Amino acid sequence: MLVLAKVALGLGATLAMTTAYVFHEGVIRVDVDEHHQGGSHVHFWVPATTVSAGMRLARLAPQHPLEQAAEQAKPYLPVLRTMAKELQKYPNAEFIDVTDEEQHVHIATMNGKLRIDVLGEDETVHVQVPVETLMDVADQLEDAGQNARAEDWHARHAKHSVAFASE
Amino acid sequence: MNLSIRGFLKAAALFALAACALAPAASLAQAATDTDQWIHIRVTSKDAKGEVVRINVPIEMAAKVLPAVNKDRLHDGKVRIDSAHMEDVDLHAILDAVRTAKDGEYVTVQSNENNVRVSKSNGVLYINVTDKEHAKKGAKGSEAAESKVEIKVPMKVVDALFSAGKDELDLVAALHALSAHGDTELITVKDAENDIHIWIDSKNAAE
Repeated sequence: MLVLAKVALGLGATLAMTTAYVFHEGVIRVDVDEHHQGGSHVHFWVPATTVSAGMRLARLAPQHPLEQAAEQAKPYLPVLRTMAKELQKYPNAEFIDVTDEEQHVHIATMNGKLRIDVLGEDETVHVQVPVETLMDVADQLEDAGQNARAEDWHARHAKHSVAFASE
Repeated sequence: MNLSIRGFLKAAALFALAACALAPAASLAQAATDTDQWIHIRVTSKDAKGEVVRINVPIEMAAKVLPAVNKDRLHDGKVRIDSAHMEDVDLHAILDAVRTAKDGEYVTVQSNENNVRVSKSNGVLYINVTDKEHAKKGAKGSEAAESKVEIKVPMKVVDALFSAGKDELDLVAALHALSAHGDTELITVKDAENDIHIWIDSKNAAE
């Protein structure tokens, strides 16, 4: 009985710690509702940690998808990184609010999460991303970009060395 | 110690750890918003659609993000001015003259088409333009309204803006100067189509 209690406590504690780790960055939430016949309704939320973990896993993939993404996003990375870093200083703020006859767009931070809400006649979109995750994504893309450039440099250096040796 | 108490203490310690890990880091950053200056832009359309655009940006954030944007004429927080469009006007010399001149009204133009008034008072440059031609054109249609532009710029901001050199405007330096100046109205434009209002204060939301 005592052993069972200890096992249960251990499992409970592990579960609590795992839950705490998985949710420590918060949750990414996406809700899309199309208000027409047959319109799609997408509602999902994922722990933000899975994005960071997924990006780390993607770096191990043989096709180097993260390096490719980093190369494409290269011109925007400094802005994304600086913006994410600065957004952390403003956990509760309204940034953009546009209202017209058909739509209402609202971009704000709330409790350290970036919220983008689009309320239209045809569709409603709500996106919520922890600012910390944006920072993490920018950091990882920057690292991946640097790695790609370093590997490229090493590859070219090795090719030059081979060419020089053959001469 | 009794085993059940030890177990309870273990569980409590673990839950306390979990609670610490779950607590958002937002509270650490909360203080930053209290004293910062924000630049607000509000555009209200007067047409039937009633568009309203409200943009609020912390000056500090803009000053940090701008140098990260390098596109076309914007680089390192500075905008390159095409000297070909300056038509041999030495802006720095004009600014220096305005800076050293006493407070007063420098330019007053009153005509059937426009009223223009440029003045300086207590270190602030005022530019007021009223476009009457716009009102005349509007009179033929359904609406008749003058187009009014009021610009109020602290001289320190103008100095900072032109501090980069002859062919550049230093936006970041101007933002820092603006933030040091405190709450102020910057630009008001009123015409038949839109009301545009740009101002600075320490609130993190538009009025």
